[in-house]
Amino acid sequence: MTDIRWGYALNQWKPQFDDFVRREQHERALKTVSIAGFEGVELTAGTGRWEPLGNPQQLIANFGSLTGFREFLSGCGIAAVSSWFYDPQQRSMEHLTPPYSPLVAADVTGIVTRAEWFAGALAQLGGSVLVVRAAPSAGDVGPLDDAALRRLADCWTAVGRATLAHGVRTALHVDFLSSLRRPGALDRLLGLADPAAVGLAVDTAELTVAGLDPVEVIRRHRGRVWHVQYKDALAADTDEEYLQPHAEYSVRQRGGSREIPRWFAEPGAHGGLVDFAAVTRALLDIGYAGWVVFESDQSPHPATSALLGGYLLQRDLRPVTAAAVEAAAR
Amino acid sequence: MAWTKWSYMDHWVTETPQGPQPPSFNRAYMDRYIKQLSALGFKGFDTFFFYLPMIEGMYGSVKAFEHFLQDNGFEKITGIFSAYPYATKYTAPHVPETHDRIVADCMATVRAVEGLSVENFIVMPSTTYFQVEPVTDEKIKIMADLWNRVGQMTLEHGMRTTCHFEFWGAIRTREQLDLFFRYTDPRYVYFFCDTAQHTIAGVDPLQMFRDYRDRCTGFHFKDTHTVDEHEAYRTPPDPELMAPNVTRWFYEMGTEGGLVDFPALMREIVTSGYDGWLTVEHDKAELGGGSYAEATCVAKWYIDNVLAEAQAEAEAQLEAGR
Repeated sequence: MTDIRWGYALNQWKPQFDDFVRREQHERALKTVSIAGFEGVELTAGTGRWEPLGNPQQLIANFGSLTGFREFLSGCGIAAVSSWFYDPQQRSMEHLTPPYSPLVAADVTGIVTRAEWFAGALAQLGGSVLVVRAAPSAGDVGPLDDAALRRLADCWTAVGRATLAHGVRTALHVDFLSSLRRPGALDRLLGLADPAAVGLAVDTAELTVAGLDPVEVIRRHRGRVWHVQYKDALAADTDEEYLQPHAEYSVRQRGGSREIPRWFAEPGAHGGLVDFAAVTRALLDIGYAGWVVFESDQSPHPATSALLGGYLLQRDLRPVTAAAVEAAAR
Repeated sequence: MAWTKWSYMDHWVTETPQGPQPPSFNRAYMDRYIKQLSALGFKGFDTFFFYLPMIEGMYGSVKAFEHFLQDNGFEKITGIFSAYPYATKYTAPHVPETHDRIVADCMATVRAVEGLSVENFIVMPSTTYFQVEPVTDEKIKIMADLWNRVGQMTLEHGMRTTCHFEFWGAIRTREQLDLFFRYTDPRYVYFFCDTAQHTIAGVDPLQMFRDYRDRCTGFHFKDTHTVDEHEAYRTPPDPELMAPNVTRWFYEMGTEGGLVDFPALMREIVTSGYDGWLTVEHDKAELGGGSYAEATCVAKWYIDNVLAEAQAEAEAQLEAGR
C-alpha cells in the first residue's frame, strides 16, 4: 500500500451553470467515477440553486444534510469528497458577496470566512484539502512584485491556519494564467507563507501549459506538495499569451492566437505532453501521502474521459506504485 | 468469487469530427473504445457480422484484433451476431427457397472467424412479424428447419448457433417459442436469452431460462421500461425504431423504471450451475442525449454492486444446502 488515494474531479460534467443539476445525473457520474476505479471525488465551489454540489448550503438544501450527501456518495460507491476547489474571485449568491481578491487586504477576512465554511463541510465529507486559486490572472492584475507576493502569502497563511482548525489543509493551485508561473515567483510565495499552513496543489496540465515541468516542481517543493491533480496538456502557451487582458476568454477558452481547441485532456490522451508515470514516480520518491485527483476539464465526453483515466490508472500507474511498495519491502 | 465471464455486445456510438459514428470510424477510435471496456473489466467481446470486414481493415485480421483485445485484458471474441431482420426475395427464414442462400451467407461469416474460439453464433431466427403474419405452425417449422441446418454447420466449426428472439419478430410469444424449440434439434439449436426483448413481448425471461436452461448459451443483460401492450410489434416497416408511441425500448441495467428483475435472474443463473458468458447490451443508449460510455459504466456498476450481491446470496444458499 502507498499513501496515495485516487480521486476524480466532477468539474468536467458541468460545462455551464444550468447543466448537471438533477440527482440522477449526479448518480450516474458518481457511479461512473466509482466503476472506473476511483474512490473519491473533488468538488468545485459554485453558487446558487443550480449548483447542488457547489457549497455546503446547497448540499444541505438538496440532500437534507451533509450526512445525507455522504450517504448518497456512499450509495454510489464513493468513499469521500477528497477536496474542494475554491476560487475567491467567484461571487457568492448565498452570502451576496462580491468577488474577493487575495491581493486585497480588505478581502482577506471574507476569504478566510468562506474557506472555513468549505473546510468545515469537507471535514464531514471525508476530505482533507481545500484547493484554492492562488492568484488572479496575470493579464488582469499585472506582475506580482514582492509586495504583492507578500499580500498573497499573508492571505493564504491566514486561510491555511483557519482550515487547519478543521483538520483541512490549504493547497495553492497555480494555473497557467497566473503570474506565479514566472521564474522564482512560486518559490518566493511559498517561502513567504507559513509552511505549516500553506502547501501546493500540483496540477500537471496547468504547469505544463505554463512551460513548467511538474516533475521538477514536485522535486523542488517536496515538503509542500499537499495535493495533486492529474490532467494532460495538449499544447503549451509558448508565446506568453497569458499576459493578455481577459486571457480567461481569449486564451483559455478561445485558445489564443493559435485557436487551440482544447488545452486540457484526460491523463494519457493521444498527443498529451505529460508523462504520468514519471510524475507518479516523483511523488513516490518524495513520499507523497494524499489525494491524486484525475481531471479532464474541457472534456466534451466526461464518461469516456473517466474511463480512459481509469485505464491509465489501472494499467500503467498502479503497477508503478505497486513496484515502489515491493521495492520498499525488500 | 465474482463472475468473471462478462462480455460486451458492440453497439457503441462515439462522437467524431464527422458526427456520431461507431468506433470502427477509425483505428484510434476503436482503440479508445476497447480501452474503455478494458477499464471496466470486461473479458469477452461480442460483435456483429458486418463489423468483421472493418475490424480486418483496421487491425489486419480478426485474429490480430483478438490479440489487441487480449493485450487489454480480454480473453477473446465470444460471440458473432448475425441477422436477416427484413424479408427479401433472397433472405426470409420462413421461405424455404431462401434457405440455401442464408446457409451460404452464414458459412461466409463462420469462415471470417475461423481459427478463433468464438463460442456463440447468435442469430435472429425470423424477420419482422408483419412480414411473416399470419404466423403459422408450418412457418415456424420452416424456420426451425433452417436453423437446424445452420446449427449443424456452425457446430462443425466449433460454434453453437443460438437464437436471439426479438419482440418484433415472428417468434415472440411463449407458445411460439415453445413450438420453435420443439421443432429444432437440441444438438444444433440453442437459446440466447435477451432479457429486454422477452419482457417487451410479455414473456418472462427468467421462466424462459428456467425452462430452457439446458439449451441456453448466453444472455443479453439489458433492460426496458415498456411492455408492448398495443401491438407495436406489428408496425411496418420497423417497430424497433419507428413505433409511433415508443421512441426508446432499451435501457442499460440500473435505470429507474426498469422492468427486468436482474438480481432474481442472477440468482437463478448461479443456482442452475450455468457457467457461460453473460453479456451486457444496451442498444440505442444515445437516444435522448445519452452516452454509451456512461451507460456502460452504470451497467457495470450495477453488476459489481448489485448483481455481485445476488450472486453471493445464491452461492451461500447453495453452500448451505450441501
